[in-house]
Amino acid sequence: MIIFLIAILIAVFAAVVSYWNPKISAVMSVLAVLMAIPYSPFASLILAIAILNVVSLLAIRRNQIVGVDYAIIALMSLATVYSFITSNLAELLLLFVVVSTPTYLLVMIGEERLNVEIGIKYVTFMVLATVLFIIGAVTLYHAHLTQDLSLYAIGFVALLLGLALEVGIAPLHEWVPDVFESANPIAVSVIASLAKFVPFIVAYKVLMATATLAATQILLILAVISAISMFIGNIGALTAKSASRILAYSTIANMGYILATFAAITAPKEFVYYAIAGGLLQLFVNAFGKIGFFNAVKDGSSSFNAYLLSFSFIGLPPLMGFWSKLFIIYALVFSNFLWLAIILVLNSAISVPYYLRLVRLVGTGWKFSITNTVTLFCALAMLVTLVPPSWFLELVVGGFR
Amino acid sequence: MIEVFLAMLLSPVLCSLPVAFAWLIDPKPEWARKLPILAVVGLFISLICALQILFSPDRLVKSDWLPEFNINFVFIIDYLSKIMGTLTALIAFLIGVYGLEYMKHDYRLGWYWFFFNLFTASMLLVVYSDNLLMLLIGWEGLGLASWGLIGHWFRDDDELSYVGEVGRKVAGQNYFWSPSTGGWRAISTIRVGDMPMFFAIAAIYFFTGTLNISEIHWEEFAKEVGSFGIFLILFLFMLGPFTKSAQLPFSEWLMTAMTGPTTVSALLHSATMVAAGTYLFMRLSWYIEPWNLHSEGIEAIYIIVLFLGLISAFYGASVALGCLERKVLLAASTMSSLGLMFASTAACAWVGKIAILVGFWYLVTHAFAKATLFLVAGHLIHETHDRFCVGGKEVAKHLKLAFIATIVATLFLSGIPPLTAYWVKSAMDGVMHSLEHHFGYLPLFLLVVTSAIYSAFLAKFLSLNFWKGKEVHIHPHGGGLMSLAYIAMASMLILLLYIYLTGEGFTKLHEFAHFVEEGFLTSSLMVGIIVLVTYLLALYKPRLESPIGKALGDRLYMPFLNDYIVPKFGWFLAKIADYGNRLIDFTCHQAIPSLFEVYSLGVRSIQSGSMERYVKIVVAVVLIVFLISAGMGVTI
Repeated sequence: MIIFLIAILIAVFAAVVSYWNPKISAVMSVLAVLMAIPYSPFASLILAIAILNVVSLLAIRRNQIVGVDYAIIALMSLATVYSFITSNLAELLLLFVVVSTPTYLLVMIGEERLNVEIGIKYVTFMVLATVLFIIGAVTLYHAHLTQDLSLYAIGFVALLLGLALEVGIAPLHEWVPDVFESANPIAVSVIASLAKFVPFIVAYKVLMATATLAATQILLILAVISAISMFIGNIGALTAKSASRILAYSTIANMGYILATFAAITAPKEFVYYAIAGGLLQLFVNAFGKIGFFNAVKDGSSSFNAYLLSFSFIGLPPLMGFWSKLFIIYALVFSNFLWLAIILVLNSAISVPYYLRLVRLVGTGWKFSITNTVTLFCALAMLVTLVPPSWFLELVVGGFR
Repeated sequence: MIEVFLAMLLSPVLCSLPVAFAWLIDPKPEWARKLPILAVVGLFISLICALQILFSPDRLVKSDWLPEFNINFVFIIDYLSKIMGTLTALIAFLIGVYGLEYMKHDYRLGWYWFFFNLFTASMLLVVYSDNLLMLLIGWEGLGLASWGLIGHWFRDDDELSYVGEVGRKVAGQNYFWSPSTGGWRAISTIRVGDMPMFFAIAAIYFFTGTLNISEIHWEEFAKEVGSFGIFLILFLFMLGPFTKSAQLPFSEWLMTAMTGPTTVSALLHSATMVAAGTYLFMRLSWYIEPWNLHSEGIEAIYIIVLFLGLISAFYGASVALGCLERKVLLAASTMSSLGLMFASTAACAWVGKIAILVGFWYLVTHAFAKATLFLVAGHLIHETHDRFCVGGKEVAKHLKLAFIATIVATLFLSGIPPLTAYWVKSAMDGVMHSLEHHFGYLPLFLLVVTSAIYSAFLAKFLSLNFWKGKEVHIHPHGGGLMSLAYIAMASMLILLLYIYLTGEGFTKLHEFAHFVEEGFLTSSLMVGIIVLVTYLLALYKPRLESPIGKALGDRLYMPFLNDYIVPKFGWFLAKIADYGNRLIDFTCHQAIPSLFEVYSLGVRSIQSGSMERYVKIVVAVVLIVFLISAGMGVTI
């Protein structure tokens, strides 16, 4: 714990130092981030994302909070790593807020002027989401203690809706396309990557602790919402014109895939691990992919990198996106949600055209720049699963026992 | 022993490769015109190997290939394969020698010799294979090579290679066929039979667990699949031999196969490929031993083969009688002979093994005689530049050897006592006569009528080409090699006669005693005299104008089956497929995409940018879901 506190102090100090020199802030933020590595097996992956975020923020050094933004990333990533470790409800809810709030700032930054209008839109929904999520989590714990089934249902739905609003799951996705389109692409790349982990991890932990009461009907609501999200995301992206909008709808669809893993929460333990492994891996795919693509939106990319990212999203082996979907499908099939697995496969097929279109939109050619380098590293990250990720499954089994 | 088989099968193919490659790399390789001799040497090596096998004891020669699937090289050396193999290799070699001169100036010798030798190897594989799958490989090789050889003159630029009067139309349908059409008709018809045969072989393997003909327990097999099962499997299997041997209604391809070079007609369409069907039926019957079995399904098959054979024989003979084209006449007569072989072999179900032997020795006799006639026909076409039967005494004077060979072949084949075919035909009369208890006199009657017509058109062929035909002037030059080949072929008939009559020939087979015994019966002699009379009549008056003859010459309008009915049916299917195709195209290219597009635009139309609207939607959704969950919470 002490180490985390020190790391947070360093991050805060970095924010202060940025008044004199933003570069020092960046270095110190990365340092703070690296300090958390020994504490969770997932830390290195999370920190890779954080470092990519910091580096890509270097591309917009003329924004209003330059220097502070690196520290914000450090704070968020430390919170994410810590969320893997703790199982205290209060701490988890705190982490939820810690990760959510900094994004209010990030969404508004721009290279010329502050983007207040989009900030207001975003903050409105996030506040609603946070309220619903926290009420839901607390209610779930209470219902679990009192064994109150009807209260459990209310709590479950509140948590679900809060999560949906927070990460942008259809039909509560309305803010996503607007924000992704209007905000600065680099800022969005943070919101679409690092900020997505904690809500899901907290939801996993809360639901796993209280899952004994989850009835099939309630899981059905969840499954239907995730199916709606997949369809709206993928079909909406088919005719979307700008790359940012395609990515917005792609995010909605990906969040649907991840939400589907919650349907397996009452299944036998080994399938729950598959579900969580699938969900987390899909989060990593989404994070690396979105960082890579938004950097490409900002400044173009070599089409090879863009293809690698797209193929991973589509789910071609041996890229990471294949394994995440495989795990999810495996978990769904063995927890009696075969229909949802079929819908997921169908959606993967539907997504093919727009991901390929996306490659043509952003694959304008390699330039030597920060954003192109970030995209390259994101594309390479998709190759991590050249070693079949049974290792990832073991990490999950160890981390969520 | 396996080395001998390998040498026999590989040497023709390997020896034909130099000439094949010469034509592949150089469109006009005048330097390579001597290379076909090497190809014939390959055929000769095959012949030596076949002779070596002929004089070795009966046995199975096995060499594993895919033992877990029972697909192995299993060569059988038995009565049938020994003699058939030698016959094939000998005839192929003699025709190869003939072809050296006949094809001397051809424009693509590489193609010709490669397929000719591939054909020979495939045929030998069919003859010696005991494993049905290996046999099928040879069988398909026959089909492929026959397509290549029949369509050899693929440019369709020489009317001498057509079948039918060029430009003639009957009922709006072209009534003449080019070499490329002939090749296509051959392969397409044969495939119709090969497919069911392939499935039948799969079924046999599925039920018996072995593919070796000599190792299948037919009795148990018949019991296992039941009467109808064995009938169905054998019927599907027999579709292969029926199409290959051009039995009704698959006869048309054989007639238009005459568009190929004459050597091809002589090898494929007299002695080997078409005989492969009957040979396979004999081999099967040899091991099924239907005379020992009591299965209605098997009996039904033999009844079908018996009558199909007899009717095809009758049809073929009648068509040959009306036909005026040299090679088409011979093709029709071949079809007739094949029918007799089928019928005679099928009779074994009631008569016993002797019926198979009768059919088999008729095959041997017919092979030499018919090959001789084809070779002579080729020489005549070469000299007279006419496909139709023309030629008077001048032709006979100039082409003495051809004349003599034709006399020998026609006399020896028609069944005139006491010449070669007479003894086999007598035994065949006896076989058909013993079917009296089952089918009355019908088989015997059909056989006698067919024999009479058969000898008549053979005499017609002789007379119209060398005696009473239209006079033509010819100036023969060369032709020595060709004459040598068909004289050698014809002399084999005399050798056969010697073997039949002495009964103590080199093979020491006692069935010849049976042939001779049957030949001395009065009834056989009567048939012999009828045959002699029709022969003499036709020799004296070879042409008779009549509408019936015209219809027979037009093959009773059977071509309409291949050229009109089947295509119409095919186009009908194509039409259905086309509509299905369009439906799929419409669904995949218009209906589904526009559906997605409409839906996608709907999804995106939510995004108006108005905050108020978004909040309304979100609040509505949240409330609705809460309501649903509350309702559920109550019901739980």
